[in-house]
Amino acid sequence: MTRPPRRVPRLLSGIVLAWFGVVALAAPALAHEGEEEVPARTQVAVADAILRTQPEQVELAADRINDALEAEDHEGVDLDRVKQAKEALAAGDMLKTQLLLEQALGACPGQPVTSPTGVRTKLPQTPCPTPAHELALGRVPLHGTTKPVLLGIGAVLALGGLALSWRIR
Amino acid sequence: MSDATMDRRVAEQPPVGWGRRLVDALDERLGLKALQYPVPAHANTLAYSLGGLALISFVLMVATGIFLTQYYNPDPAAAHESVRQIITGVTLGSFIRAFHYWGAMAMIVLVGLHLLRVFASASFKRPREGNWVIGVLLAAITAGLFFTGSVLKWDQESLEALEHNIEVGKLLGRFGFWFSDTFGGLALLTRLYVVHISVLPALFSLAVVVHLLLVKRHGMAPSPFRRDTTKDTGPEPTRPFTRHLAELGALGLLLVGVLMLLAVLLPPSHGPAPIEGIEVTKPPWPLLWVYPVEDWVGVSGILWATLAIFAALLLVPLVDRSPERHPLARRRLPVVIAAGVVVGFIVALIVYAAVQPVVSHIEM
Repeated sequence: MTRPPRRVPRLLSGIVLAWFGVVALAAPALAHEGEEEVPARTQVAVADAILRTQPEQVELAADRINDALEAEDHEGVDLDRVKQAKEALAAGDMLKTQLLLEQALGACPGQPVTSPTGVRTKLPQTPCPTPAHELALGRVPLHGTTKPVLLGIGAVLALGGLALSWRIR
Repeated sequence: MSDATMDRRVAEQPPVGWGRRLVDALDERLGLKALQYPVPAHANTLAYSLGGLALISFVLMVATGIFLTQYYNPDPAAAHESVRQIITGVTLGSFIRAFHYWGAMAMIVLVGLHLLRVFASASFKRPREGNWVIGVLLAAITAGLFFTGSVLKWDQESLEALEHNIEVGKLLGRFGFWFSDTFGGLALLTRLYVVHISVLPALFSLAVVVHLLLVKRHGMAPSPFRRDTTKDTGPEPTRPFTRHLAELGALGLLLVGVLMLLAVLLPPSHGPAPIEGIEVTKPPWPLLWVYPVEDWVGVSGILWATLAIFAALLLVPLVDRSPERHPLARRRLPVVIAAGVVVGFIVALIVYAAVQPVVSHIEM
């Protein structure tokens, strides 16, 4: 069987590293392109997305809310709610900020979605019939003796499986 | 032979334990000893146990899934609340859901690694091309199970995934009728639930049976990573298949233990109820590679990229037909490099999408 020279794995590693390099350089550049011409609707959606996926980036979300208020194109956005969201964010109430931003877009947090409409569909600016909003559940820890018992069983099974597979081999 | 001689011989035989008698009794009725057929020694390695472990993961998913179906409500108006109820109000509900979540992750990883191992060791080559196709089908079903399962929790991420699914369905024209929310008498979420708990598991089970029968029919493929047997130690030694099953059972215990630890220590969270008209989440990591693809190509990119990957997988036995099995052998090298670039590209896309701010996706 013919074995190829060792430079092939090196070449592959080089290609992968080069790709990661391109990705690392491209990501920040893509993030801040032409902000000043972005409509308020997009700015509000982005601010909401930041608060949901990167809640530590409060300043970035605040910038987007300000940009939304200063944008020339306000179509499909309730600016009063955006102003309230700005105040809520300044007060440190993240959940209320999210709720107001979503309502500013015409969304109805808390209203059951029974028939999805499509990606990025513009919603009518009508009053929400059910303003109640269910909040996210974080990791719910197990209580009482359940946690140590399950951890113990898991550890015994893992170690037992490891020992058995070692012995059988 | 006299009766006295017979009695003496019977008395001289060593006593048989109850365990042996039980096995013999079962074997007489079920033919269990037929499983003791020889398999090559390399079958008893972790790399050659990945497929078996994926199957064990599937069985664990069915078991925990049966528990979850007792409490989950597939009506879109009640689905999110029922998941919250499972997490907060059902005895061991949070643990079982977490186990199901981590088991799904394990199954995706194990199927992917199994596919890579079969490709690297050229186990798909003649006469096993048909079984490779069955394996690719199993990988596709696994992806379908993962996607439908991720939608059922019915939080924002689920809704956005389903909305993209509907868009892809529209791209399929008349063939995408099933994905329309107006098709059938039930909501799309409810129909996806049926697919998740019955259609796909049934298809998976059927395909696995054919997959295993073909493995038995063709035997375990030779390992290209073993040193030259004719010069060193002669033909590769064999072990009974039951020993491989015992090894698999031990690894299965290890898998269950690790999944239990993950389920207790790192239970998955559950997002707020979905809201229409916003797009604010990223997909789970196995599907994350489609996120930048959508940025660059649009929703159609999700469809074409997925089809391209599975088409490429199906073409592997036709493209790589040389008798060589080692991945670095001269005639296999171009195909192996091409596959390495594709896998590396997908991994890079996942990493890129993970670090990419959600902002840039929305503004595309």
